[in-house]
Amino acid sequence: MSNVFFKTPLSECIFRFKVYYLYRYRGGVNTLSNFKNFIKNALFFNEPQKTEHFILTESQDASPSEEQNAGDTANTKPDAKKRSRRLPRKTQAQPPLTQNENAPLTISKRLSENLDYMKTKYSLPVNGDIVLREFDIIVKHKVISAFIMFHDGMVERKIINQTILQPLMLLSNLDIKSTEEDIVSYISKHILPQNQLIITQEYTEVINMVNFGGCVIFLDGINTAFVADVKGWEHRNVQRPNTELVIRGPQEGFTEILRVNTALIRKILRDENLIAENISIGRRSHTPCAMLYIKDITNNALVQEVRKRLESIRIDYITDSGELEQLIEDNVFLPAPQILATERPDRVAAMLAEGKVAVIMSGSPFALVMPVTFFALIHSPEDSYVRFTYANLLRFIRILAILFSLLLPGLYVAITNFHHELIPTDLLLAIAASREKVPFPSIVEILIMEISFELIREAGIRIPGPIGPTLGIIGALILGQAAVAANIVSPILIVIVAVTGIGSFAIPNFSMGFAFRILRFVYIGLGGMVGFLGIAVGLFIHGLVLTGAKSFGVPFLAPFGPKTSGGLTDEITRAPIWKQEKRPDFLNPKDKKEQPTISKGWMNKK
Amino acid sequence: MVRKKVLRKVSTIVILCMLSGLSAGCYDRREIDDLAYVIAIGLDKGKSNVLKMTLQFAVPTAIGNGQEGGGSNGEKSSIVTTVETPTIYSGLNMVNNYISKQVDLSHAKVIIFSKELAQEGIHQYIHAIMRGREFRPNMFILVARDSAEEYIKNVKPSLEINPAKYYEMNLEAFKYTGFTGNTQLINFYLQQECTCSQAVATLAAVNRYKTTGDFTVKHSTAGNKSRSYPLEGDFKAGHIPRVGEVHSEIMGLAVFDGGTMVGELDGEETTYYLMQTGQYHYSYITLPDPIVKDKFVVLNVTQNRKPAHRVRMEDGSPKIHANIRLDADILSIQSGKNYEYAGNVHILEKAAEDFIEKGMLQFLERTTTELNADVCAFGKDMKGQFLTWKEWQEFKWLERYKDATFEIDVDLKIRRPGLIIRSKPAYSTKGEEMY
Repeated sequence: MSNVFFKTPLSECIFRFKVYYLYRYRGGVNTLSNFKNFIKNALFFNEPQKTEHFILTESQDASPSEEQNAGDTANTKPDAKKRSRRLPRKTQAQPPLTQNENAPLTISKRLSENLDYMKTKYSLPVNGDIVLREFDIIVKHKVISAFIMFHDGMVERKIINQTILQPLMLLSNLDIKSTEEDIVSYISKHILPQNQLIITQEYTEVINMVNFGGCVIFLDGINTAFVADVKGWEHRNVQRPNTELVIRGPQEGFTEILRVNTALIRKILRDENLIAENISIGRRSHTPCAMLYIKDITNNALVQEVRKRLESIRIDYITDSGELEQLIEDNVFLPAPQILATERPDRVAAMLAEGKVAVIMSGSPFALVMPVTFFALIHSPEDSYVRFTYANLLRFIRILAILFSLLLPGLYVAITNFHHELIPTDLLLAIAASREKVPFPSIVEILIMEISFELIREAGIRIPGPIGPTLGIIGALILGQAAVAANIVSPILIVIVAVTGIGSFAIPNFSMGFAFRILRFVYIGLGGMVGFLGIAVGLFIHGLVLTGAKSFGVPFLAPFGPKTSGGLTDEITRAPIWKQEKRPDFLNPKDKKEQPTISKGWMNKK
Repeated sequence: MVRKKVLRKVSTIVILCMLSGLSAGCYDRREIDDLAYVIAIGLDKGKSNVLKMTLQFAVPTAIGNGQEGGGSNGEKSSIVTTVETPTIYSGLNMVNNYISKQVDLSHAKVIIFSKELAQEGIHQYIHAIMRGREFRPNMFILVARDSAEEYIKNVKPSLEINPAKYYEMNLEAFKYTGFTGNTQLINFYLQQECTCSQAVATLAAVNRYKTTGDFTVKHSTAGNKSRSYPLEGDFKAGHIPRVGEVHSEIMGLAVFDGGTMVGELDGEETTYYLMQTGQYHYSYITLPDPIVKDKFVVLNVTQNRKPAHRVRMEDGSPKIHANIRLDADILSIQSGKNYEYAGNVHILEKAAEDFIEKGMLQFLERTTTELNADVCAFGKDMKGQFLTWKEWQEFKWLERYKDATFEIDVDLKIRRPGLIIRSKPAYSTKGEEMY
């Protein structure tokens, strides 16, 4: 080879190298397109490796239960992909229906059938947290095979061991002096020492119970299953409420457990007329909810409306009462909340006693109370626990806080841009001096500060615990000192934003605070556009919207919107406790009086 | 379908909001620091034009950053500029050409006319000011006895940085001195327009005394009142015997007939004016001791009721009865006489009543004979006796006022003796000694 190179001229040499190369590596000079490959190889270029990327495509095998079917069809028809694109809905909607129709809804007498059904239903052995235990029991000298099934972690294991397995496996062959012939009633009456035992012949009930911490017992030879309620998952204990703290008053808050929550309320009211209706929400989750009301106080129409709304909800899963609130509220776009969410059992109890309806959802520590008016949202449960003079001070401070958090930045912008004559001369000159070096218009200045304040607020909630204080320091430094030193904002504006922020934290209801936080920006815009005129127009429209709003049929500004009695004594200020004789008129309760005219009996002369 | 409708609705609302924002436009929006704030306006007779207008501007950086800058003492807290102009508003237009920021009058505290201008008549300026949107109705009207420009240049407050505060505090001082009046623009305008009263303005001037050696009583009004020595009220602005940091001062009132200045009141007369119009709050009044010669008694006098005026016509001339009710605390008894003793208190009360009555009569007679101006608004009571407006107008009260005669009834009660309940003599080597 080397001889050839030396004897030929350079062009010949290159050609020969090319030919040699192509023969050697590419198997012949097919076309000129191979020249591209040659260049690629000369430059040591590698094609990117073909890797498989996962792309979630729309397919008909969405539900795991029909996995088998879908797989079959895919095998038999190679062009299934194309077809599924054309008819995705049809294929998706039909199989579950047919399956439900074919499914054995009632329990079979044969244990193996039941076992198979439960196994497919719970996707065993794919599903890891479901426990299936097979065993034999001896009842009246007959050996009957059986199995139990439960979700690991959702049940109290000790109870299953001691009060289900132990009696069935060991004690069932004891000589029981009974003439019971029916095996079902024999077991339920003598062998299973369970306080909540459901005897059923339907699979749906069995499955619902198992999904919610039940333990199902199937026996061979009978078409009946026993479901024992052995709920026992890990949960939070009753703790102080996190959002609605009071100094005077009970310190208990709701937890995530429905029955604990209803018990907390019942413990306060101790009234047999307190009804806790069970309603389950969620087509798949069947989340249990309790609708609470006092039978002989609350207006029937109200109870019916709440029940209607709750029962009409079509949703797969529901996680928190916050979602429930959005599903049953009257107006989506109204800034103010139309349902009160509270963590405090005492607050719910007080409102039930007024004639309102409460809904508690399993898994949520917030109870929903409805209907709610504007003024209930600015009340704190503490108002009724402290003496009435103190409560009135608190109420006025709160109203002031609302005005500050809603209007102060807007008013500042309006005054500094349009109404200079309103400020005392000294203050005016101080503002003018402090703004002298600030390059932005005051509306931009205030937006900068408000937005950074909102940032700190949001970051403060999301920040992991240990670095929380850092954020406070950074926020205080940036907002308080550096921004002023850098002449980005004037010091007087820091005061405005700080007072506004404090004002918004003084609003007792979290959602209400949100409403004012959003509207504050609207008022800043209006104030910056046309001064007081804009703010007046804004207040007018705001008032109209609030007056027009309704919460479960009750006007939102109720004791004032349409004027009814008790506005001043109960809603804005608070009368002494012995003076609060009537329940709110706008609720139209069955029992209008809360207490007699003279409730302090010792005042009467004998 | 529904979605489209909602979209259209939302977009309509958004567009409307944006359009309304654009049409509002923020066109008259002014940042606070884009304006120059006038705190005093001075008007003199012009040399080359009708008016000579002097404007005093506040300097916010010198006033607002008192602690921060550190150099607030060195910086001037106000600047003064003077311009010759045909009218007030044209003058503002001219000033805007060389003052970098737009001139704003919404914080002007005083408007000062020179005496010369006031004697020619200022009603046309008052009308122009009342019509203007930026002028506050509660700004004070002053008359400078020499020149408004000079007065403004001499306002160099030493107790406060802000000259606006100086005007505010100084002009409100009549509430505890009784030597000037509440001559706010709105009062002045109403009095000027009224068919039953005449206007007054606070008298201001620059004090000329350089050293204490220059003091003299020849400018005092004590001579007119047959007193050998001046009491504290016997001065007009510019002649108070004093020296000090601040050269500007106010005392007494300028009396107007319509819009034309016709005369001046000194401090004591102003006190009586305030008592007659019910604007008197409290002040110290010095009167000669009723028993011991050349000693004084000082009372802290307050007005406990509004004055009662009664006017009737007798032989074509008005006869005016006025009842003034005063309370007083004893502040000082130089003679050491035991006036606070219940049996003696009436001696002092009588003396004080006589003293005030005498001064008040002198003052009221001066308003009829010399000034011919019903500044105390006795016409108000007269007006009530007419049935129709036409009758009242034809009656021409302000013309007839010069023939008025007065009957004054001062009712003074001494309520408290101060912190000393009984005057006691001081004891010295010579025995008892009256202080």
